Amino acid sequence: MGEQFASPAVTVVTGATGWLGQALVHRLLADPSRRRLRLLAQSTSEGRRLESLGNVEVVIGDITKPDTAARLLYGIGADVDVIHTVGIIHPKRTRQFLEINVNGTRNVAEAALDHGVRRLVHVSSNSPFGTNAQTSDSFRATEPYHPYLNYGWSKMEGELAVLDAVTHGLDATIVRPPWFYGPFQPPRQTTFFRLVRAGKFPVVGDGEQRRSMVYIDNLVDGLIAAELTPAAKGRCYWVADARAYTVNEIVATVGRALHDEGFTVKEPSARLPALAGRVAELGDRVVQRLGRCQQQLHVLGEMNHTIACDISATCSELGYEPRVELYEGMRSSIRWCVEQGLEL
Amino acid sequence: MNSTAATAQMHAEVLVIGSGAGGATTAAVLAQAGFDVLIVEEGEWIEQGSVVPFSLQQMDFQYRAGGVTVALGLPSIAYTEGRCAGGGTEINSGLYRRPPEDLLQRWATDFCINDLRPEEVMSIANEVEQVISVSLVPGPPSAPSDVLRRGAERLGWQNSEIPRWMKYASGDASSGQRQSMTRTYLPQAASHGARLVTGCRIDQLQMADGKATRATTTLGDGRHGTIDFRHVFVCGGAIQSPALLQRSRIAGYIGRSLAVHPTVKLTARFADELNVPGDVPVHQVKEFAPDLSFGGSASQPGLVALALSDQWRTFSRAITDWRRMSIYYAAITSEGRGRVRAVRGLRDPIVTYALTRRDRALLGSGLSRLALLMLEAGADEVYPSFRGAPVVRNRRDLATMQSTFSAAKASVMTVHLCSTVPMGEDTRRCGANSFGRVHDTTNVWVNDASLLPTAPGVNPQGTVMALAIRNARRFAATERPRG
Repeated sequence: MGEQFASPAVTVVTGATGWLGQALVHRLLADPSRRRLRLLAQSTSEGRRLESLGNVEVVIGDITKPDTAARLLYGIGADVDVIHTVGIIHPKRTRQFLEINVNGTRNVAEAALDHGVRRLVHVSSNSPFGTNAQTSDSFRATEPYHPYLNYGWSKMEGELAVLDAVTHGLDATIVRPPWFYGPFQPPRQTTFFRLVRAGKFPVVGDGEQRRSMVYIDNLVDGLIAAELTPAAKGRCYWVADARAYTVNEIVATVGRALHDEGFTVKEPSARLPALAGRVAELGDRVVQRLGRCQQQLHVLGEMNHTIACDISATCSELGYEPRVELYEGMRSSIRWCVEQGLEL
Repeated sequence: MNSTAATAQMHAEVLVIGSGAGGATTAAVLAQAGFDVLIVEEGEWIEQGSVVPFSLQQMDFQYRAGGVTVALGLPSIAYTEGRCAGGGTEINSGLYRRPPEDLLQRWATDFCINDLRPEEVMSIANEVEQVISVSLVPGPPSAPSDVLRRGAERLGWQNSEIPRWMKYASGDASSGQRQSMTRTYLPQAASHGARLVTGCRIDQLQMADGKATRATTTLGDGRHGTIDFRHVFVCGGAIQSPALLQRSRIAGYIGRSLAVHPTVKLTARFADELNVPGDVPVHQVKEFAPDLSFGGSASQPGLVALALSDQWRTFSRAITDWRRMSIYYAAITSEGRGRVRAVRGLRDPIVTYALTRRDRALLGSGLSRLALLMLEAGADEVYPSFRGAPVVRNRRDLATMQSTFSAAKASVMTVHLCSTVPMGEDTRRCGANSFGRVHDTTNVWVNDASLLPTAPGVNPQGTVMALAIRNARRFAATERPRG
């Protein structure tokens, strides 16, 4: 990796109230070199919550409306970076994938191009690439698209919208996080802890399928590295923990983390045949074809597969170094839940 | 070396059936050790240069059944076998890979192979490399080969030029002369007195108490004959060797574990002319090895047409542009298994092969990654070889391609057939012992690709030759020539 950009005059964050957005905003607020933060909120109540965090400017708007992104960038100079974290993964209706993940991203990319921002960082996903063909395989930095269902398709189209703007002169970098974990997690993630505690997390097949995961602070490191590395223009990077974990290892490690945080944990007992995963995947496809989303089916269907990515290009080109591993990250995630008064 | 005409009654101390990578090396070692060796080849002696390499005409002359042989399954897998003096070495890509050392170690352990010492095999490989002149292309690679290198470099994927058994008359890639068996080990065998008979098929070995005493033959003109011998080496390749043993009612673990490297193909069209009809690319992409490898295929206009034929309705218009096109493959190591079954009354055995779920997924992602590499190398259009395939012009088309792919719709083919008489002491999964003698026989050896316990994940000819020489030397050290 070569020289680094300095922090820009203005840092703009979309999705600031989301899981990743909150973690990112906390990091930026703690950094004195970040002189101005401008955040997009969906409602005035969200806006007030963000303003309570510190010295931030809030713009209220809906990213699916074309004028929102232009308003977000209005009145600030060219020394501005935009970190676009808005995305929807478990909507009620599949059309929200199109509206938010595709049209929303295109709106941001086009506004960023018109405005002439210094760098746009777009948060994508592993889902445009589907699953690995076998347990030992890992996705390289550049892979053919093979989207997993509607979410994967929408994140692929989002990437393509950004890359299209890059061919028209936009300076943008795409970051692809796999399954993330850590503080600021939404309520659905506490289900995960509860299932592990009860020994009922559904391990599909032999549990040796591998999953890349990323601790939220590692991901924030990666986002900022992607923002501040000039040579990353037009490139796409996996940002994940140092290695992929097997599902068995994930369940055992989370169990250990819960135990060490003082929770009682039952021995894992929920093993499902690989067939159950395939049935769930099929069910998910059918439900999504009807325009609906069923979170449990989706997660179970994907659990059957290996989704592993190779971060070596991210490390060598962005100087990214994942600092936290699964056990430590899960412990801080559990502590955060306890502090929030969430029932595990 | 001249082949002699077959006669109805023949005799030899050692009968070697087949003259390819296994048979030719076996014959050379044993003739040099003083044995009276007779090599019997079903095909004919075709002088190099008398047919165009990698052509349809060559398929007629030098391939079994004109190159149309199929392992039945869903999908069925087309395979090719050489049937000529020199066997597969006369017609294959000529790419040489050393036996992978870690694989030899794993075979020795998993299949209980005695005295399989990697350092011994490597030292034999060194000798082989001298004899068949393993060398790199002098000067720049051909344009179709450079496509693989260029695309892989852009993606940061490991790739390299694979050396070949070629002698180059000048500093030019197109001046290569393949150092196949008819140029190397067969003349060497002859210089030590071995005889070669072509156009003679072995129908059966007559067995008594685990001992083979006589082979029954069919000559070119349809007459039948016999060959008497003391020892027999069956080196007909991974399909014909087990079939002959089965026809001879030799029981054991024979023909039950056919292993192959299934491959799927695509054709890529570029802005500039690049097609080299008489040669194949020498670069391979090994980023995902051994599970998945990419390389280039023969791309004669007829073969380009064949590769486009899966989706002929939309792809056919491209054929007039064949000079700008070249064919590439994605090969996998398969977790599936095949069988070879000789059936009474049928000349050729029934071959079946079943891909696993993982194999199918890997073929799909392999073909997709290969198409991505082609786009990175600058291809304007990519035509994948499966029914219903889209023309791929950009990244978005790759998503369409992989979502329409299924292995059942693809033209899956293979050239590396092996493992039908695996070697080792574990008789539940080995057909021959640690040196190739068929279990429960006293004088029947197999010495060809059938012995490899699994598909090696690399071009296997180097491994086949090194193991065949090892086994033949062991035989020569323990059995005395009658003299």
